[in-house]
Amino acid sequence: MKWQFSSDAPIYSQLIAQIKVGIVTGAFPPGERLPSVRDLATEAGVNPNTMQRALTELERDGLVYSQRTTGRFVTEDQAMIASAKRSLAERHIQAFLEAMTHLGYDREEILTLLRQEETKGGEDDGSSGV
Amino acid sequence: MAVLECKDLSKHYGNAPALNHVNLAVEPGRIVGLLGPNGSGKTTLIKLANGLLTPSEGEVLVCDMAPGKESHESVSYLPERTCIPTWMSVKQLLDFYGDFYRDFNRKAAEEMLAHLNIRLTQRIKQMSKGTREKVQLIMVMSRAAKLYLLDEPIGGVDPATRDYILSTIIGNYNPEAAVIISTHLIADVEKVLDEVIFINQGQVVLQSSVDEIREEKGMSVDALFREVFKC
Amino acid sequence: MLIKLLKHEFRATARIMGPLYLILLAVALGFNFSARLMDTSNVVLNVLAALVILAYVAAIIGVFIVSFILMLQRFYKNLLGDEGYIMFTLPASVHQHVWSKLIVSAVWFIATGAAVILSVFVAAFNVSFLADLASVFPELFRELNAYYAFNGTAFILEFLVLMLAACMSFSLQFYAALAVGHSFANHKMALSVLFFFVFQFVMQLISGTLLVMLDQGPLQSLLSGLNFHVSGMPAIHIAMLLMIAMTVIYGAVFYIVTTITLKKRLNLE
Repeated sequence: MKWQFSSDAPIYSQLIAQIKVGIVTGAFPPGERLPSVRDLATEAGVNPNTMQRALTELERDGLVYSQRTTGRFVTEDQAMIASAKRSLAERHIQAFLEAMTHLGYDREEILTLLRQEETKGGEDDGSSGV
Repeated sequence: MAVLECKDLSKHYGNAPALNHVNLAVEPGRIVGLLGPNGSGKTTLIKLANGLLTPSEGEVLVCDMAPGKESHESVSYLPERTCIPTWMSVKQLLDFYGDFYRDFNRKAAEEMLAHLNIRLTQRIKQMSKGTREKVQLIMVMSRAAKLYLLDEPIGGVDPATRDYILSTIIGNYNPEAAVIISTHLIADVEKVLDEVIFINQGQVVLQSSVDEIREEKGMSVDALFREVFKC
Repeated sequence: MLIKLLKHEFRATARIMGPLYLILLAVALGFNFSARLMDTSNVVLNVLAALVILAYVAAIIGVFIVSFILMLQRFYKNLLGDEGYIMFTLPASVHQHVWSKLIVSAVWFIATGAAVILSVFVAAFNVSFLADLASVFPELFRELNAYYAFNGTAFILEFLVLMLAACMSFSLQFYAALAVGHSFANHKMALSVLFFFVFQFVMQLISGTLLVMLDQGPLQSLLSGLNFHVSGMPAIHIAMLLMIAMTVIYGAVFYIVTTITLKKRLNLE
């Protein structure tokens, strides 16, 4: 998994977002055991305490669960993963709409642009739309 | 209980003050960045904690002890320069650390050396500057100390080595210990820090957690540093 | 901890002294052979033999000089140079550091003396020489005993102790000068040299004053008042023991200067 950080948001919230993406895209498959906090921290190049904090929050959301002795696992609840996927998608759309509004487009124009992009873009439009 | 505590600590070299009434405490389990421009007093503070200098005023305590023979057992120190004896072979260096430090984990050190393809028969003399620095860091991080004092561990090395050094620190420090990393290369270490201490002209100007800075100020520590220390 | 420091100090120094002693003995062996060949009329062999003799003399001077320089260099480089960062953050006290350096230097001084004596035996070895030697020593002691009416070995023992104490005190004077010189921010080496001579001057001044005081002071009048006279062997014994005591005090002063400076004024670059 590739870890990247921007400079404005707290690191733990960026970690949460990236682990969520990992779960949704299958980099961390459902039911799979997660690496230890230290290993994950080393891999991401972040402080273990920060990684711990991110995992605790994910645990509270239910996306991961911990078993006292064997470690942390990704949830097997497909509905929960789907809803996480949905909320990630919503976040991207929100950001996209904000940027477009900032450029001076209204909703109607944005939809037109998207449709045009779809006819032009061919096969890979599914991903470019999100 | 604080692992490192400075109480009204001052140090002058002749008339020139290097540290000026510094008060700070570092708790166990945290990785702390000691950040400041060159000549701000970072090295002086670390040397005082190691007993390599004596305070002009005030005191510095390591695990509630004044620096000395006993405190050295709990402190693992990486000086700002490489100073492992160059005539030694890697094996002799392992013997050296193993003999003097009860908390030295020889097996861990050997594994890290093997990972870098460094042979035990190799002499320090024959190594490049970068390799020597890595070997010294491996020795320092193979101890289960209560306090790690790392003076400029990533100064003057290439970005790949920088990544190696930082991941070695994260991967090997004792989680009940405190790690203090002094540096002026903030963007590189920011992600690994819990907390930062800004030091300028011998005085502490800020002590805060990294996420707090990002949350409250909406900027990275690096950006904040540039703002605070604007020339 | 002192034991561990000693172990590693020996490890660091033996790699230099060991080979050196081997070279010395090898050259001594060469000397032995060439001394036997000297008599031949072959010019080449004679020149070769002369060269070997020269090499032997150089080797003897060499081991003495190296053991002296090593004493200086181990203190200067290992404690006051970059390596000092590692040494002074070991869980060891300043006293242990100074003792480890001092003891190891002293051992090498003794070993150097022994190696040179051994090399003389090697160089001069032939059957009649050993036989001569075997007869000379008892003769010497007998002569000494006859003349001074005391055990010759006691005197030799006292002399050896004095030599050892002198070597150690001398080393401590160098340590003190280096420690004080290096506690300054600049011109560390120049100041070390300067302090060595300052110490030398001060100690001579003090011992000179003491001698004068001894000569004219209350001690002298006390002794003469007591009508306390010693002569012959007891006088030599007392003189030797006094000299040993003086040398030890001399060394102790520099030991204190060294340890206090390293504790309070350590200033590594």
